[in-house]
Amino acid sequence: MNLKRLCRDAVLTAVALTIFIVELQIPDLLPIPGVKLGLANIVTVTALFTLGPVDALAILLCRILLGSLFSGNMMALVYSLSGGLLSFLVMLLLKKILTAKQLWAASVFAAVAHNLGQILAAVAVTATPSLFIYLPILTVSGVVTGLFTGAAAQFAVKRLSGVLKN
Amino acid sequence: MVKTRTLVTIILCILLLAIAASLFLWLRPAGGRVANVYLDGELLYSIDLDALTEKKTYTVETDRGVNVLVAEPGRIRVESADCPDQVCVDFGWLTDSAAPIVCLPHRLVIQLTGETDVDAEVGG
Repeated sequence: MNLKRLCRDAVLTAVALTIFIVELQIPDLLPIPGVKLGLANIVTVTALFTLGPVDALAILLCRILLGSLFSGNMMALVYSLSGGLLSFLVMLLLKKILTAKQLWAASVFAAVAHNLGQILAAVAVTATPSLFIYLPILTVSGVVTGLFTGAAAQFAVKRLSGVLKN
Repeated sequence: MVKTRTLVTIILCILLLAIAASLFLWLRPAGGRVANVYLDGELLYSIDLDALTEKKTYTVETDRGVNVLVAEPGRIRVESADCPDQVCVDFGWLTDSAAPIVCLPHRLVIQLTGETDVDAEVGG
């Protein structure tokens, strides 16, 4: 891996981490586990659509690992990982069929997939299938927050792709 | 390539379906006033909320952390917890909703059902 690429990915990871930590300070909107803005995903989407899957996955994994460490919430790691990886997979598939102007939609589906992955992990960890009752409301939250982060990512890609690519 | 119109339609359909499902699930009564407290998927307490006459406090302590539950006639809540997110505390009172109180970091779930589990330690 060349130095430039390493530095660029490290800076993006730092940006994602900062957003993640700042977002933790925002009080919960609803007393439902998993309802959050997911602003750090803006960086993942931007990286995926400008730099490609390898860099984006590296940034995502570093952010999740360090984010859990820094927030002192290591028990959230398994939920973040399953949600993050499932949403990454969905975005990877959508990237093949979406144009740059439809990038926001990838984020919507990614957010919904993220929440689905979290519930699957929570059901597995707590052995409580009744947690699926949260799936519909987390889907609503995923669509709304995904639209927001998707729009932000689309702006970021438009403005930053020249800077990030060379 | 997919048309944007198609994307918007798919997303709108998902959104409307999810809203309908949430309303249906959340407004549906639990069908009973027995609070089952699960830790790691195993039934820990089964508390008949209608049979309670006074306030009762339960402390659930594991190596992951502590949750303090308070049961009163007809309702139950998590009074305090040392988990980082406090989602279980913010949930407030559970009175007749089918949606459970969850403390994911401590793997604790409180759910209302219609029946008491006879094998459980009833009322703590």
